[in-house]
Amino acid sequence: MQALLALSRGIDAVNEHLGRLVYWCVLIMVLVSAGNATSRYALNLASNAWLELQWYLFAVVFLLCSGYTLLHNEHIRIDVVSSHLSRRTQVWIDVFGLVFFLLPMSVFIMWLSWPVFMNAWTSGEISGSAGGLIRWPVRLLVPLGFFVLSAQGISELIKRIAYLRGLIPDPVEKHKDPGLDVVLDVEQAAKREAKS
Amino acid sequence: MSAWIIANIAPIMFAGLIVFLLLGFPVSFALAALGLSFGLLGIHFGLLNEALFQALPERIFGIMSNDTLLAVPFFTFMGLILERSGMAEDLLDTIGQLFGPVRGGLAYAVVFVGALLAATTGVVAASVISMGLISLPIMLRYGYDRRLASGVIAASGTLAQIIPPSLVLIVLADQLGRSVGDMYAGAIFPGLVLTALYALFVLGVTLAYPQAAPALPPEARPLRGWKLARRVVFVLIPPLALIFLVLGTIFIGVATPTEGGAMGATGALILALINRRLTWSLLRQAMNSTAKLTTFVVFILVGSTVFSLTFRGVNGDLWIEHLLTSLPGGQVGFLIVVNVLTFLLAFFLDFFELAFIIVPLLGPVAEKLGVDLIWFGVLLGVNMQTSFMHPPFGYALFYLRSVAPDTQYTDKITRKPTAPVTTGQIYWGAVPFVVIQVIMVGIVIVFPGLVTGNIERSTVDPSKVKIELPTESPEEQRDETAPPDFGQPPGGGGQKSEQAPADDLQKQFGGK
Repeated sequence: MQALLALSRGIDAVNEHLGRLVYWCVLIMVLVSAGNATSRYALNLASNAWLELQWYLFAVVFLLCSGYTLLHNEHIRIDVVSSHLSRRTQVWIDVFGLVFFLLPMSVFIMWLSWPVFMNAWTSGEISGSAGGLIRWPVRLLVPLGFFVLSAQGISELIKRIAYLRGLIPDPVEKHKDPGLDVVLDVEQAAKREAKS
Repeated sequence: MSAWIIANIAPIMFAGLIVFLLLGFPVSFALAALGLSFGLLGIHFGLLNEALFQALPERIFGIMSNDTLLAVPFFTFMGLILERSGMAEDLLDTIGQLFGPVRGGLAYAVVFVGALLAATTGVVAASVISMGLISLPIMLRYGYDRRLASGVIAASGTLAQIIPPSLVLIVLADQLGRSVGDMYAGAIFPGLVLTALYALFVLGVTLAYPQAAPALPPEARPLRGWKLARRVVFVLIPPLALIFLVLGTIFIGVATPTEGGAMGATGALILALINRRLTWSLLRQAMNSTAKLTTFVVFILVGSTVFSLTFRGVNGDLWIEHLLTSLPGGQVGFLIVVNVLTFLLAFFLDFFELAFIIVPLLGPVAEKLGVDLIWFGVLLGVNMQTSFMHPPFGYALFYLRSVAPDTQYTDKITRKPTAPVTTGQIYWGAVPFVVIQVIMVGIVIVFPGLVTGNIERSTVDPSKVKIELPTESPEEQRDETAPPDFGQPPGGGGQKSEQAPADDLQKQFGGK
C-alpha cells in the first residue's frame, strides 16, 4: 500500500505541475483571439494559422487539465442525493465510479484515439485551410489527455481505498482550493471594514 | 429477457442515466461510461454497428475545434478579472446614491446595476456576490425587508443568464444549431422586459408595504447635485466601454461572439490594470479557475457526446420524439410540457446538465413541430434562469448566503445591533422572483414577436465570418458523414456545445 501511495503522490505532483503550466494557455488564448479580431478589422489581415491556434490552445487546456481538475475534485457532480449520505458511502461511490466509469471510459477512448493520431502522424495530415497548422499535435492531445486523466483516476482510487482503510485523511479536503470567490470575499470584506 | 431489453433499450438507457447521475459521481464520466456500456450491449445484441465507436475520436475532435465553445474560457476569465476591477462596487455606490431618495431606491439600483453587469459579462456569481457585499448591509441598515433585499439581489444577479452576452445563450445556440448573434438579438427584449418586471415588483412592494423599502435618509447620500451627476457619468464609462467591446463588436460584425469574449477579457484586464488591481496572484487564480471550469464543462460535453452517440444509435431520439410529438395540443402542448419539465429539472440540475443532456433531445422535436429554435432557445434560457433561484439548490442563493451576515452584528454607522439574514428569508425572498420568471416564460410563449421580431436585422451572423474562411475541410466532411446529431447544430455534430455559464464556474469557486 505504501508503494501505491507513493505512486499516487507522484501522479498528483505531475498533474499539479502540468495543470499550473497549462493554465497559462488561457491567457495566451485570450490575447491571440483578441489579436485576431483586431488585425482582421484594423489591418484586414486574417491568418488561418492564428485562428487555428485559438482552438489548439483550447484543446490543450481542457484535455491536459483533465487530470488536474480531477485532482482538485472539480468535475461537476449532482449531489442532491449523495450530499445526504455518509462520507464513507460517498467515497465508496467514488471507488465504484472510478473503477467502472472513469477508468474503462478513459482507457477505451485512449485506445480508440491512438490510431487516429498515428494516422495523422504518418500521413502528415495538415489543416484543410490555406496556411493552416499541422494536425498531429492536436490529434495527440486526445490520447494524452485521457492518459493523464486515467493516471489521475488511478491515483484517486489509491487514495480513496487508503482512506477507507484508515491510512490517510480525507484526500478531497487536502486538494481543495480556496476558491477565487472566497479569496476575493475575504479581501473585499476587509476592505469595506476598513472603509467604514 | 434479452428480447425485452432489446425492445426497450432506449428507455432503459434513459432510466440508467437518471440513476447514474444521481449517484453523485462526476456527471461527465457517468455519462460517457453509460454511453459506452450501452453501446457495447447494443453491439452485443446486434442492435448497433460494431464500428459505432470509431466515430468517437472525430466527435471529440469536433469538440476541440468548436469555435463557439472557445467563448467559455473567454467569458469566464473576463468575469473573474472584472470582479476585481472594482467596477461593480463603483456602480453600486454611485447608482445607489442616485436612486437613494426614492422609496425602494436601493432595490431599483440593484436591479439596474444587475442588468448593467449582465450586459457586460455573463457571470451570475460575480454580481450576486458584489451586490450582496455592498448593497445588502446598506439595505439592512435602513430597514429594508430582508426577504425583499435578498430576493432582489439574487434575482438581479441571474439577469446575466439571459441578457447578452450570456454564456447560456451561447451554449443554447450551439446546441440548437442557431447562430449566437441571432440568439443574442432574440434575447435582448425579453431580458429587458424581465428587468422591467423586477423593477415593477419592487414598485408594487413599495406601494403595498412602504416600510419594506424606505428611501435613504440624506446622511446616507453624501453625493448630491453636480458632484453626483459627474460621478454617475464617470462610473458608467467602464461598463459601457466593455459592453461596446463585447456586444458592439459582435453586432457590428467586427468580432465573432467568441472573439467578442476575448475582446471583453482583454478589456477587463486593461480595466483592472488601470485600477491597479491586477496582481500576479489574481491573474494566476483567474487562469486556474478558468482552466478548471473549462475542463469540467467540456468534459460534460464529451460525456454527453458519447451518451448521445449510443442513444441515437438505439433510436432513443426517435423514442423521445415519439413521446413528445404524441402530446395533445401540438406546439403549445409541447412547449408547456417542455417548460414544466425544465422548470422541475432545474430544481436539481444546473444549467450545463440541462443544456447538454436535455436540450439536444428536445431541439429536433421542436424543429419538427415548427417551433422557431431561437424562440425556443430564449424560452428555455428564461426558464433555466430559475435554476439559479430555486430554493434550496439555486446557486445565486448559495452565493448570497455566503456573503450575507449569518450572525447578529453591530451596524457600523447606526451602532445598532442588526439581526442576521436567515436562510429562510433568502429562500422566501427568491419565491416572488421565481414566480416572475414563470410569468415571463408565459409572456414569451404568448408573444413570440418579442424574440423573433428583433432577429431579421442581425441575421448576418458575425460568427459566419470565421466559419466561411476555408477552415478545416476534413472535419467538415466528417460532419456530413456523421449521423445528424441530436439537436446539434449543423456544423458539428453532437459534440459541441457546452459551456458553462460563467456563473457556474463561479459556483465552482464559491461552492466547492
